[in-house]
Parts: sequence; C-alpha cells; structure tokens
Amino acid sequence: MVSWCATHCDAVISCRNLVRRYVDFVAVNRITLDVAKGAVCVFLGPNGAGKSTTLRMLTGLLPPTSGSITVCGLDVTANPLELKRRIGVLPEDLGLFDDLTVDEHLLLTGAVYGLDKHETRSRADQLLHALSLEEGRRTFAGACSHGMRKKTAFAMALLPSPRALFLDEPFEAIDPVTSKIMRDLLMAAARRGVTVFLTSHILSVVEQIATQVVMIRKGKIVWNSPPGDLPKSLEQHYFDLVETPVVEDLKWLGSS
Amino acid sequence: MARVIVVLRTLGRAYRRDQRSLESVVGNNFFVVTALVMQNAGGFIYLLIGLVLLFPLSTDPLRKIPASRLALWPLEAGERRLLRVLSPWLNPVSWAVAGLAVWAIRGRVTFGLWAAVAGLAVAAFLLSNLPFTPGPAIWLHVPRFPGRLNQLIRKNLREMVSTLDFYCALLLSLSGLTCRAAGLHLPSDAFVAMTVLVVLALSSYAQCLFGLDGVGGLARYRLLPLRGWEILAAKDAAFLAVAIPLTLPLAPLAGIGAALAAIAMGHAPTVGRPRPQSRWRFSTGAGVIFGLLHAALIAMAATSVYFSSRLFLLPCLAAWAASTWYYGRRLEAPAAG
Repeated sequence: MVSWCATHCDAVISCRNLVRRYVDFVAVNRITLDVAKGAVCVFLGPNGAGKSTTLRMLTGLLPPTSGSITVCGLDVTANPLELKRRIGVLPEDLGLFDDLTVDEHLLLTGAVYGLDKHETRSRADQLLHALSLEEGRRTFAGACSHGMRKKTAFAMALLPSPRALFLDEPFEAIDPVTSKIMRDLLMAAARRGVTVFLTSHILSVVEQIATQVVMIRKGKIVWNSPPGDLPKSLEQHYFDLVETPVVEDLKWLGSS
Repeated sequence: MARVIVVLRTLGRAYRRDQRSLESVVGNNFFVVTALVMQNAGGFIYLLIGLVLLFPLSTDPLRKIPASRLALWPLEAGERRLLRVLSPWLNPVSWAVAGLAVWAIRGRVTFGLWAAVAGLAVAAFLLSNLPFTPGPAIWLHVPRFPGRLNQLIRKNLREMVSTLDFYCALLLSLSGLTCRAAGLHLPSDAFVAMTVLVVLALSSYAQCLFGLDGVGGLARYRLLPLRGWEILAAKDAAFLAVAIPLTLPLAPLAGIGAALAAIAMGHAPTVGRPRPQSRWRFSTGAGVIFGLLHAALIAMAATSVYFSSRLFLLPCLAAWAASTWYYGRRLEAPAAG
C-alpha cells in the first residue's frame, strides 16, 4: 500500500484513524486521509466497501466510532452547524423533498444559506440553464426523473458556493452531456480552490478529473496517490487491488 | 393459469404487507376518541367510521405491480383478463361488498345501504387507478410566508393537505361554518366541542410531522444549516396555518390554544419515534394511550381558554416554545445508525 497525503499543512479535508463500527461489523477501519485545497479526490471501491459511510462521517451525518475529522478547519463533531454552512453535499439518496419543485429546492437552499433573494435567483437561473433544468423547474421532485433529481441535488450542492464539495456517486445514471457539464463545473470549481471529494464507480470519468485517487476495500484504504503515480491503468490497478472480476460461463444462456 | 396463480399469490403477499389503512385508523386520535366518546350514538357512528375507512381500503390490488413490469411479463391476453377479473378479490372490501349484497337480498340490510357502500368502494377502486401526483394547478399556489423558512413551510403545507386528516377536519369546520351562516342557534359550548374535534382530527399528524418527508427529505434536513428548532418551527407553522383557519368559524382562541397544545405534545413522538406515513391515508399516531393523553391535553387547552380565561393561551404558548427548543436540540443530535 502506498501512503500519500497531499500537502499536509494545506489539507481542507483531514481524518485520522477513522473507525465506524456497527455491532460486530467494522464498516470503516482506521482510515487516515488528507485532501488538499483545490484537489479532486475520488474515492473508489466496490459496493459495501465503506465509501458512503466515510462520506457520511466526513459531512457530519454520521458520528464516527473513533478517530478525528477536520473539514475546512473545523472539527466535524464539534461544529456541525458551521460545517454545514461551508460544505455542499450530494448525498446518496439525493435528499430531495417530493413536495417541492426543482426551482423551490434552489430557492430554499439560497435562503437557508443566507444568500439574498436577488443573488439566489441569479445563481439558481444560471444553474438551471447550465444543467438543462429550465423546462422542468416547476416540476415537483416527486414527479422528476432520476436524472433530473440528481441534477437538482447537484445544483443544490453548488448554489451556496461551498469551500468543499462532497458528492456520492454524482455521475451514475446521468446522460453523457450532463456528465460532461458536471465534470467541467467541478474542475472549474477545483481550479478556484474548491476541494472536491467524490465517490464513483465510473473509472473512465475518474481518470479525467481526479487529482487524487483513493481505493478502499473492506473498510481499509489500499491505495492513495495522484493518478500519475499509478503503476498501471486505473482499471487494471483497481481490479488487482480492490476487486477482481469473476468470469462465470453461464452455459444455459442462449440455449432456448 | 399457473402463471396467473403465481402472480396472484405474489400480489396477495405484497398487498397484505402494504395494507396500512386499518392500522392507520386504529392509531388515529380522532377515530379512537370518537369511538370512545360517542358510544351512546350506537351503531350509526361506527357505520360512519366504517364508511370513511372503506375509502382508503378500496384500492386496486393490481396497482402493486408496476405497470412497466406487468407489460413486460409474457402473459397471454386471456391470462391478463383473468388477472384483471381475479385481482380485485384479493381486497377484503370486495368480499365485504359481496357479503353485504347477500344480506341485502335476504332483507337484513337495505339495498340503499348496500348501494352506498358498493358505490364508495367502486369509486375508490377507480380513483386509485388514476395518476394522483400533485398537479401544478393546485399545489403550486400554496401561499408564501415571510422569512427564510418559506419554502419549507410551503412544502409542509402540501404534505399536510395530502393526508385524509385534513379533509376530515375540513368537513367538521365546514359544518360549523354552515351552522353559523344559516344562523342556527346552537349553544356556544357546541362550538368549543367542534373546535376540539377539528384539532383532534389533525392531532395524529402532529405526532408524525416528518412522516411524509421520506428518506431523502430526512437526509436533507440533516444537511441544511438550520437549527433543530427552526426545522420544527417550519413544521409547526404549517400545522397552525391549517388549524387556525379551520377553527375560525368555531371558537378561534380555543382553537389556537388546542393547536399549540397538540404540536407541543406531538413533538415527542415526532422526534423520538418517527413513523413513516402514506399519502391519502389517515395519519397513524404514536399509540392509543399516548393518543388519549394527547386528546385530553387538547381538550383541556381548548376548554381552559374558552371557559376560564384567554390568559391560558400563555401557558400553551410557553409549552410550545419549551417543547420546540427541547426537541429541536434532540433533532440536532447526530444519527446513531
């Protein structure tokens, strides 16, 4: 395993010996990690490896069993409200209210993050335009397609202009054009100093945007480096370190 | 035929698991208190409750299979017809209507009653097949509120009016309004009683204020930079925005006192024992004992304000503020799981 930490003194996201235990199951096992300002850190691993649990702990949604977390200079467990003001999150379940429209979700976000009405309206309009949500802006989230719901949740994460973004599988179930737009927005944000931490299964997208690749298996970090330091292709290295694909010949397939 | 039986068996299992209507009425303050208090009214009141209960129960069981999945299954046209004919019989209401028809033929109940029950069941069955998503024409025009909680209050209002509790309270309020408009000389005590009934009809919802937010909504609450008391205050504002206008034609100040008492006590199960709820059903409260205590507190608040002094609004307000602060703090505690 390679231990690599981006410039320790400039870490926006930092955790030490992070553990999350559920009765007799350890979901996250002594994770230590630093993510620098302006980095795009991609957290890779199979389903159930502990990616979402880690992300939930980093965003203050889940208390760790032990270990310490600092995000944007704040102790996550001691300053939950201040932390929420500084970060943007796209949660796994998107966190939308069925009874609010796409537009109302953005207006709600602006209001509770303390933006004035004019600024909120202006940012919301730009995001709706950028993410091709203008036509569906008056659609209730409960009646939106999955793609629209994901774009709405993504827009909510960006709207308050957070210092750090935490995105749980942002590119899954998204059309290629929106995926490209989201990638471009994230890379532009990172260039301006926003730290991005995301989980994904789409390795081709990861290769394009990551400045730090972290692989996790059974709750433990098994790789942490810039993509340039990978000894082979990302896919091959992932298969070698994290999960080897099982090849099963289903002989009955095509027999009828 | 074998395929149809397999589908019907699976459908029956799914339908039984999702059949919460009866449970929701049993745990609903309004029905529990009405059934206990109005025993002297005899079978008629129970018949009315039964008719109200019949409505949410009479849904089409075939709805449990997603239309896209049903269309993909390799069933013959005849099998689909058979499924259409047999599936309604998974619903116990269909058997009840058939049994009532036999009684009507034997003269044990009138044909009029049978027709009313059957008509209600058929209407609910047909309505359940219509797409019932919130339409912009109705739901977008929810009033706006001042302050940064505006959108949350509007959302909470939409949730609240998608429960049957609201319509039950609305009917009671309209009947009071009709009495006032028609100039009927009812004793003033009757309006207090009606006020208590209106707030009682809404009070089970006060015990499960997050019931319609869903998993995603609850996750969002934890992400928003809001204090717990603000989230509860947005819920309460929506509750009061419904309860106060509904008690206006009756005993308004007593209604405010009762509504404040309802939400103050309702915070405990809302935060401590959250229960998911279904739309277009009666809300399920925290249990019969809690429901009776809740109802007693609501009645006490209303009668104290009406018969003793308006100053009793102050302790109601203080209780609500204390409850909002305390349960707001509890709401901020990080989730354990």
